[in-house]
Amino acid sequence: MNLKKLFTALLALLLCCAMQPSYSSTQGNKTMIKLHTNHGTITLQLDAEKAPLTVKNFLEYVNSGFFSNTIFHRVIPNFMIQGGGFEPGMKQKPTNAPVKNEAANGLKNDIYTIAMARTGDPHSATAQFFINTKNNGFLDYPGQDGWGYCVFGKVVEGQEVVDAIGKVKTGSSGFHQDVPKEDVVITSAEVVK
Amino acid sequence: MPHSLFISDLHLSTAHPHSTDLFLRFAADVAPKAEVLYILGDLFEYWAGDDDLGDPFHQRITGVLRGLEGRGTRIFIMHGNRDFLMAKELAAACHAKLLDDPVLLDLYGTPTLLSHGDALCTDDADYQRFRDLVRNRDWQTQFLSQPLTQRKAQIEQLRMQSESQKRSKEMALMDVNCDAVNDLLRQHHFPRLIHGHTHRPARHLHHLEGHTCERWVLGDWDSKANALRCDGSGISWETIPSP
Repeated sequence: MNLKKLFTALLALLLCCAMQPSYSSTQGNKTMIKLHTNHGTITLQLDAEKAPLTVKNFLEYVNSGFFSNTIFHRVIPNFMIQGGGFEPGMKQKPTNAPVKNEAANGLKNDIYTIAMARTGDPHSATAQFFINTKNNGFLDYPGQDGWGYCVFGKVVEGQEVVDAIGKVKTGSSGFHQDVPKEDVVITSAEVVK
Repeated sequence: MPHSLFISDLHLSTAHPHSTDLFLRFAADVAPKAEVLYILGDLFEYWAGDDDLGDPFHQRITGVLRGLEGRGTRIFIMHGNRDFLMAKELAAACHAKLLDDPVLLDLYGTPTLLSHGDALCTDDADYQRFRDLVRNRDWQTQFLSQPLTQRKAQIEQLRMQSESQKRSKEMALMDVNCDAVNDLLRQHHFPRLIHGHTHRPARHLHHLEGHTCERWVLGDWDSKANALRCDGSGISWETIPSP
């Protein structure tokens, strides 16, 4: 009787252990996002396992509708496209508090990955993000300042939309360089259920 | 505003993809806006001879510089202590001109002396003897007469020796000698000086006989792009755009 109880307990324990990996499985942590733009839709797969704080931060902006009617305001061919912080007319939107830099997570700034943009302060990322249009190894941790730029996901559909945005004509607008001549607008962003 | 850019000590090689990435970004976004790009030595980790131009990595770098020249930025290259064997064919492949070391130029109204900087490290007597040897034309002719693979093997051996020596040498020994700098400044009538080599980026002031000479030291590209920008208003550090 006691032995049977012990066996059952052990079996339960074993099952728990066996099931554990499924709770932390990578699949469960990879939220999909659709960025609808006037050039088409970009589908992103976010990696909350590698960049938990950054993904949480990004999802807050997605869920609050912050990205609707923001633009890709900085496009540098063969480098990256950056957006998520300005409305058409280069009007900057007020953001939430910045997020801690998680660039040392092993994810690389490879082509079609998404990473957080920031100022010279390594922990200053808020809403602006960029999509690499080339392998940009020099942005990986530790980068030029000991921190680098935090990758937190990748484009899984709509790479051709990224390519198209990467080729738009740009010029200067006020103090900003590399601004698309015609607005590249994110009409909405949504979590794929 | 019309300006010139200065870089040195990139030590480009396939073994350092990070520096190469930085250089490619610099060449794509920053350098095209300049009238002139001055490369003050050690563009490459080493240069075994112009017959190594066919190497795919060298093709890539020379192609980038050629493209930059094609977009309107003139390019001048000075020898460093690593790539002192760069010669006419390399310069032609880059659409660049080779510079003597040192060279005095008028930069936007200010006399400016450019040098790699290794000749100023006079405290390191062993290195200066080596420098005299390898800058000797006969030595170079003899060295270049050997097959490329043999030259590369010898350079590799030398680099390993140099790395182990560096660790045992005092840090002060590997910096420029202040008297050597002052003598050079006197010889050229107290110009501004830009050099690299020591990997200690800084701006120094030398007060000499009533003159104040700026000395700008370029840094290496191990972790970040290290460039100086010079225009009519003076010299400042230049960065490459980041997201």
